Amino acid sequence: MKGKLKRYGSLLIALTMLIAVLAACGGNSGNKEGASSPSASPSASDSASSPSAGGDSDKPDTSKKVELVWYLLGDPHKDTDKVIAELNKNLEKDLNTTIKLNFTTWTEWQTKYNLMLTTGEKIDMIFASTWADYFKYAKKGSFLPLDDLLPKYAPVTWSKVPEQDWTEAKVVASGSDKAQIFAVPATYPEYTPDGFVYRDDWRQELGLPEIKDLDSIEAYLDGVKKAKPKVTPINGKAFNEMLALFRATHQYENVGSGDGNLMVAKYSNPRDIVAYPFTPEFEAWAKKMKEWADKGYWNSDTLNSQKEAGDAIKAGNGAVYWRNAPGAGGYIVGVGQTNPDIKLGYFPFNRLYGYATPNLSVNNAMAIPKSAANPERSLMVLDKIRNDPKYFDLFVYGIEGTHYSIADDGKTLVSPPKGMTVTQDWKRYDIASWGVRVESMVREKQGSGWEGFDALLEEFKGMSKPNIFAGITLDYEPVKANKAAVDQVFEQYGKPLMLGLVKDVDKSIATFRDKLTKAGYEKVLEYTKTEANKYFDEKGIQ
Amino acid sequence: MRIKTEKSTVAFNTIGYIVLTFLTVICLIPFWVVLTGSVTPELEIINEGFKLWPNELTFEAYRSMMTNPGVIVRAYEVSIVLTVTGTALSLFLTAMAGYVLSRKDFKYRNGFSFYIYFTLLFSGGLIPWYILIVKDLQMKDSYMALLLPFLVSAWNIILMKGFMKSIPEDINESAKIDGAGDFTIFIKLILPLSTPGLATIGLFVALQYWNEWFLANLFITTADKYPLQFLLYRTLASAEALKTNIALSLNADTKPPSETLKMAAAVVATGPIVFLYPFVQRFFVKGLLIGSVKG
Amino acid sequence: MRGFIRELSKNKVMFLMLAPVVVFFAIFAYVPMAGVYYAFTNYDPNVSMFKNEFVGMQNFDFLFESGALWTITRNTILYNLAFIFIGNFLQIVCAIFLSELPGKWFKKTAQSVMFLPYFISFVLVGAFVFNLFSTDNGVVNTLLEKLGMEPYDFYLNTAPWKYIIVFFNVWKGLGYGTVIYLAAIMSISDEYHEAAKIDGASIFQRIRFITIPMLMPTFILLLLLALGGILKGQFDLFYQIVGDNGMLFDATDVIDTYVFRALTGNFDVGMGTAAGFYQSFFGLILVLSVNYIIRKTREDYAVF
Repeated sequence: MKGKLKRYGSLLIALTMLIAVLAACGGNSGNKEGASSPSASPSASDSASSPSAGGDSDKPDTSKKVELVWYLLGDPHKDTDKVIAELNKNLEKDLNTTIKLNFTTWTEWQTKYNLMLTTGEKIDMIFASTWADYFKYAKKGSFLPLDDLLPKYAPVTWSKVPEQDWTEAKVVASGSDKAQIFAVPATYPEYTPDGFVYRDDWRQELGLPEIKDLDSIEAYLDGVKKAKPKVTPINGKAFNEMLALFRATHQYENVGSGDGNLMVAKYSNPRDIVAYPFTPEFEAWAKKMKEWADKGYWNSDTLNSQKEAGDAIKAGNGAVYWRNAPGAGGYIVGVGQTNPDIKLGYFPFNRLYGYATPNLSVNNAMAIPKSAANPERSLMVLDKIRNDPKYFDLFVYGIEGTHYSIADDGKTLVSPPKGMTVTQDWKRYDIASWGVRVESMVREKQGSGWEGFDALLEEFKGMSKPNIFAGITLDYEPVKANKAAVDQVFEQYGKPLMLGLVKDVDKSIATFRDKLTKAGYEKVLEYTKTEANKYFDEKGIQ
Repeated sequence: MRIKTEKSTVAFNTIGYIVLTFLTVICLIPFWVVLTGSVTPELEIINEGFKLWPNELTFEAYRSMMTNPGVIVRAYEVSIVLTVTGTALSLFLTAMAGYVLSRKDFKYRNGFSFYIYFTLLFSGGLIPWYILIVKDLQMKDSYMALLLPFLVSAWNIILMKGFMKSIPEDINESAKIDGAGDFTIFIKLILPLSTPGLATIGLFVALQYWNEWFLANLFITTADKYPLQFLLYRTLASAEALKTNIALSLNADTKPPSETLKMAAAVVATGPIVFLYPFVQRFFVKGLLIGSVKG
Repeated sequence: MRGFIRELSKNKVMFLMLAPVVVFFAIFAYVPMAGVYYAFTNYDPNVSMFKNEFVGMQNFDFLFESGALWTITRNTILYNLAFIFIGNFLQIVCAIFLSELPGKWFKKTAQSVMFLPYFISFVLVGAFVFNLFSTDNGVVNTLLEKLGMEPYDFYLNTAPWKYIIVFFNVWKGLGYGTVIYLAAIMSISDEYHEAAKIDGASIFQRIRFITIPMLMPTFILLLLLALGGILKGQFDLFYQIVGDNGMLFDATDVIDTYVFRALTGNFDVGMGTAAGFYQSFFGLILVLSVNYIIRKTREDYAVF
């Protein structure tokens, strides 16, 4: 045995050495690559510098030809290569730059986003958003602070984006003591409150009350279920519906993000943050949900359902679909085309509490990872795309004549372009270009959209209040183990309660609370309070 | 005595046919459902679930997948080349390693076996591995990133070693006495004797390369280089994504049929490899081994 | 060390034949394996690995905090044991029938068809399972109703899921495993069977005394390969079948799904690596001990 050990020992030493050598080789070759690319570029700049000589000294130096790597979420359109080639023709002329536009694809974009931003891969610009952990990554130092670069390299954007939007993009990175801008927010104010799409024709047919509060919602669900036993009102996953409705009913605003976030506060008293599973409101709600579930407003398999409640509406065996306002618009228009006999209504939940908050500017934005080789050039390109209609139209709408055309008024967008119809081979040019949107540049679209949407937007604008919660930047770093455990407990015990699937509500609530306590929800709550108060103090919110 | 043997053989055969038929049916039904599901109208599936026979036939899912046939053809090309190259290379390396590790006179066989087996147990996780491939090896968006990272697997090598072990040791001995080198013995004697093992591992490796989407998902950014499975996976995922909250603002008219598309994708991707399998079966013929030893 | 060098020069060719694989694993497995260290650090993307702040066992906390560790560890082990033993048993049975039955056409068809489930992705398996057991128009409940029985809420009760999950796992791996055993049977020399036939052994006796003992090394090999991953694996199987349904977790939750739920909204390199480390470490100990026992009893069967 001893001899054997010794033998393995020597083998192990030999292997370790081998690995060390290999690792060193790997490392070196990596460095070499890194070192060689800048050394290669001066020669390229020599050949390209002459034509752009003679610009005024203020102008950033673009004598070096640069190829930028940009990332957007989602998938490219099948013509994206053509569009980008067209864009690059202009970019090369104007800025001596080209971009290679990559997409994360929709398959596990989160994993890829995480990988790219935590490994320091060389990327020049990437889509960023509050819902894609913008604050967390900015805090952790994955993005480059842009405060000093913006005025020089993106002067138009710098002057045109409202001060408020820049403020919303500011983050105090860990290890720094001042708030800095880590992304260029899209200039496209949006309201995206949750709500219900419902069968207005059925409501009228059954003589049910106009939907305006929780009671009328219940009456609608009940009426539909009783009159049409074959219909399951929420035929699919009902969780989002009920969670959103719960929060809206009790005017609970999220402090933090994600389904599993339990920390809420009321707008009127933002510093009073509570974990909602411990409130009497939640107890009452869980009982109501049990009642609803037993009455069959959704199926007992709702948590596993692969069905989309919206598809069930089209199929005639569903009656409610959870969407945010713009999503509802898209959906209603779609149903109007495929099932013109169905008449739908929409009830935004914020009518339950009487105000609307716009999204933060960084709901859609473009950021520059710290590893970027040419941050200046990326900003210059972004400045062009955001402010030059030629660039903007190309980037967002594709090629004129192929993907769209402009109506006689010279402004309105027509797609499909004149002389084309929606067929197998024509598809609207549609990439996730949300990060560069600028309201003044966005073109009106002819003959699309839902008429009700403009009215809604007016309504929201009329009751708009500043968003005071979304700007609280939580990365849960000090309590991450508790946060992970709490999220898990919520998935296991909270979701079934929220959908009334449990047999004994009181007992299940007790278990849920007990598990949450064990998982250390109190630490998460404390952390949330501390961070929120810091933010409120800073903004002067009481 | 003859009668007794026959009786038991009859019993054995009866049980055998019953068991295999039963299992065959259980394995066949879902595949049949996939096939019919791919030609069922989307709404019918949403309403009534999968069925053995659809009320109505439609090829909408295939059409929606084939909107760009050039891309599919290209993806087939990538997948075929990748599978052929990968399988050949991997099988060769795996067989060599398996052979060496199965040789009783190779003193460090246990140490090396452990060295290889250990990689099945521990991994440093996704991040260091990603850094290695993207930053150190600079393989992002290159075909190498599809071919190399899973080129050989500890599982296959150890399995191969198991197969090679069953080859009588004296073949090595006698060949050595004849003056053959280790590599010659491997090529000339061992490989022909290991056809069932080679066919098995070869099949596994081929399946792995054919089913490759994970590496493509992480490392490939140019659409030209997508292997087939990833292309289909992507199509599905974007159909799914159109359902999620993030894509709420995307246009409704871009939504492809997602339920039937899943089925159609499964059919398009597995079709070719299902046809490959009977081809591999010919290597599982009893008596191959014995014939070679005697010859 | 000197012994190693002597061995190296003596068996140059064999070392050369092994070298590509050794180098491959050194680069693609052992170099990144250093990342295991992240399990004990507070990951910071902006500094090099060993400059990360050392935090001891802190990253393992989330596994203990909610008190679920025991349940998920037990579930994982029991499921894997069921997969290993039931799966291998059926695969051996199929392989033996396929090798012994007459009727070429039937055998070929059966073998091909049994491989089909392997090609069906777990996403589709999940869809099938839902189709079978859903409340409204699931196949099983429709059947129950036709027979005049009460429908059963599969998705609210934990009881049936153990069997459903084991069934689908075994079903999916049947063809794959059968091929391995079939290849092993093909490697058994015909002489044994011929001799036994002459001695008048029945087919059952031949299988009992020749085929099964000859398959033992393959079984032990597969067992050892599987034991290392006894705390891992089959995330897709569980996730696609059970999904987010907390009602079923008591019976269906395994470490991978637990970690997925905990970390999916809290991406953290340290905690993710820690979970992997826990799984690997347990597997390592198990494999080392089992391999040691096998080595003591039947040296030939040991993997290393």
